[in-house]
Amino acid sequence: MSTIELLLVTGVLLPLASFVLLAFVGSKLGKPASGWVAVLAMAASCVLAAVALMQWQGLDAAGRAAARSAPVLWATLGGMPIKFGVNLDSLTLIMFFMVTFVSTWIFVFSVGYMAGHSDEIDGVSKFHRFFTYLSLFGFSMLLLVIADSLLLLFIAWELVGVCSYLLIGYYFHKKSASDAGIKAFVTNRVGDFGFIIGLGMVVLFLGDLSLAGAAERFHHEFTAGGPLFSRTFCGLSLATWMGMLLFCGAIGKSAQFPLHVWLPDAMEGPTPVSALIHAATMVAAGVYLTARIFVLLTPEAQQFVAIIGCITLTLAALVAIVQTDIKKVLAYSTISQLGYMMLAMGVGAWIAALFHLLAHAFFKALMFLGSGQVIEGCHHEQDIRKMGGLIRKMPVTGLTFLVGVLAIAGAGIPALWMPNHMKLGLGGYFSKDEILAVAWHRVYGENHGENEVAAGAEIQNPKSKIENATVGTPPPEPRPLSPLLFWIPVLMAYVTPFYMMRCWWLTFMGKPRDRHVHEHAHESPLMYVPLVVLALGTFVSSYYLFRPLVAAAAPHPFLTASYDGAAAEAAEAHATMISHGAHAALATRVGLAFVVGFVLAWLIYRKGLAVGEKLAAALKPVYTVLVHKFYFDELYGLVLIGGTMALNAVSYAFDKFVVDGLVNLAAFVTERLSWFSGMIVDQGVVDGAVNGVGRGTWSLGGLVRSPQVGRIRNYILFAATGVAVVVVWIAFV
Amino acid sequence: MLTVGLTQYLVLAAFLFCCGLFVMTTKRNAVGILIGVELVLNAACLNLVAFSRYRVGTIDGQIATLFIIVLAAAEAAVAIAIFVNYYRTLATIDVDKGDELRG
Repeated sequence: MSTIELLLVTGVLLPLASFVLLAFVGSKLGKPASGWVAVLAMAASCVLAAVALMQWQGLDAAGRAAARSAPVLWATLGGMPIKFGVNLDSLTLIMFFMVTFVSTWIFVFSVGYMAGHSDEIDGVSKFHRFFTYLSLFGFSMLLLVIADSLLLLFIAWELVGVCSYLLIGYYFHKKSASDAGIKAFVTNRVGDFGFIIGLGMVVLFLGDLSLAGAAERFHHEFTAGGPLFSRTFCGLSLATWMGMLLFCGAIGKSAQFPLHVWLPDAMEGPTPVSALIHAATMVAAGVYLTARIFVLLTPEAQQFVAIIGCITLTLAALVAIVQTDIKKVLAYSTISQLGYMMLAMGVGAWIAALFHLLAHAFFKALMFLGSGQVIEGCHHEQDIRKMGGLIRKMPVTGLTFLVGVLAIAGAGIPALWMPNHMKLGLGGYFSKDEILAVAWHRVYGENHGENEVAAGAEIQNPKSKIENATVGTPPPEPRPLSPLLFWIPVLMAYVTPFYMMRCWWLTFMGKPRDRHVHEHAHESPLMYVPLVVLALGTFVSSYYLFRPLVAAAAPHPFLTASYDGAAAEAAEAHATMISHGAHAALATRVGLAFVVGFVLAWLIYRKGLAVGEKLAAALKPVYTVLVHKFYFDELYGLVLIGGTMALNAVSYAFDKFVVDGLVNLAAFVTERLSWFSGMIVDQGVVDGAVNGVGRGTWSLGGLVRSPQVGRIRNYILFAATGVAVVVVWIAFV
Repeated sequence: MLTVGLTQYLVLAAFLFCCGLFVMTTKRNAVGILIGVELVLNAACLNLVAFSRYRVGTIDGQIATLFIIVLAAAEAAVAIAIFVNYYRTLATIDVDKGDELRG
């Protein structure tokens, strides 16, 4: 095992050690020592990740290849070896670093946050319980990141799901919280069901669960025209189905349509949990999975991903406009941003998706922790309608939150005349633009003769390389995408800044709308230090630091094109493409979207809620639909839960009448049969025979003993009579 | 004139036998029963002697009778010993009281 791998594995095991320690002696460590144990483990992990990242950066391509060691054989199932190892590439390292870094600061925040929250169960403080779960979560997430096999990834995936359940339902004595935990878990199970089937197809058709091995076999199957490609089901090849089913897991975990309903409810958990799991890391696992199985996707499956992402980002962005709970706004914005990432995966913007993921992790964790600070400061008030003017009471929170708002809105200076590397902007500016640029390219740039890509900088489609490498059927031409997949996300890029600015303005600016809430507002240092650190991280997590790292890990799918991935080897060409081609078309359309959104929000909400309420009244039908979140919960309640209930009723009736009836009938027949055998056969016949013999013997005995009177004179008389009879007999007969 | 022949002896013996039998069946006193037994024995002895005298012509019957007399004496001794024990147990020699062997 190479040094880097050793660092990573140690980094994974540290939170596990913390989990074990806290699980056993956490109650003795008490408050807040048990929290600091978890922080320490995660911080150590983060340091190890940073060291590993720096070492990795110092290696050339050969050194990086040498750093990967062979996976360890874990088990052999039916001739298929199950190997576990570290999937060492730039993406793993940067994800590892991001998860540990963000987690560390969220853990620090948690120590401050949980100090002010009830943690008693039956009057005993269970402060350590929270950090036990957090540590387990850290371990699971890191394991997921380094997993090199779909099976190991799946194990970590499920562990993450369990932690999510435990942490959402942390206040389990609250009905809504325990319901939300169950909802999250069950909804995820629906997605995991597809994931498991997908894994089964991988085992069946590819026979290798390791990521690299499966990709290799997938390629081989394609060139050989194996059953995966030759057989179809409902008009789609099995390979497409496999990709779509594997992606189902990501739909659940990343809260994509139609399984997005759990994430807003998950806000019932403590706010650091929302920040950690439901914004920065766990929900990103779905995107990470999609990135890892990217090479197993067919163009059709990829299009499926894009469509799901597009629907999700639209629905969530629209719902976010009308939310009044500060955490719900952030929850829907998270779903929307995840939708962007999935869309990016779907249109082939592999690098942009992960770049957006990393940038999003920082600014969304920042905003969630900010909301936690606000909620904590305002005595558990979550309704932004009752806030307002908090910037004076919470300057640090307000300003760092603003950094997050700017980042998610994609604030930057769309300076076309400047060379790419000199542009200024926050992470979201570059990542979102890149996603949209690739979408634009797929819709308009490629197949429609409007290619604006400069002649000298045409993108290097990886297909050309693959064609040289493999003799056989050339991969199909990528299909043109629907223009909707470009225009809807662009439209939503205007909506995002609007709802974020609405949330920020209502919370921090304007006049205080609730005197009581305003008076009590305060900040605590333990909680705002992480905010400042993450705000700095948001500035740093920009184009220059994260993007090259992600780009270095870009895969080489042969069926689908990773459009910006092509530029991994030719960063210059890519940059030219983006700046000259798609970006030029985009800058005017999206570049200033954040300004438009901000101004619109400011115009509506600068005087408080009045204008917004008038608008809501004017657009009542739309408003109603949005407030009810497109009636998804109601629909699921009616169709799924109602359906389940109806099925229950039917099963119950079947059970009650048919099954119970059969059982009762069997019991009745048995009872009658035993009555017959007992009363008639046994008591009547068998007992009768035995008793009859006894009675016969008895009466015979009574008969033969009657002459035995015991008197000697009688015996003599009998003897004499006998003799007389004999004499008479002899004499006369 | 009635001559005494075998018939008269046999009648006498039958009479004696019947007397003995009657005594045995009617007497409740054990000694009475013993006397009845002696009568029956002697009736049998009389028959033996009579048949020996009038039919066989040897003295086998007389000798057998002598044996019977001795045996009767021995039997009487045994019987009286039984009666003594009987009396010790039941404080009476009424044979009807000793009906423990009643079926």
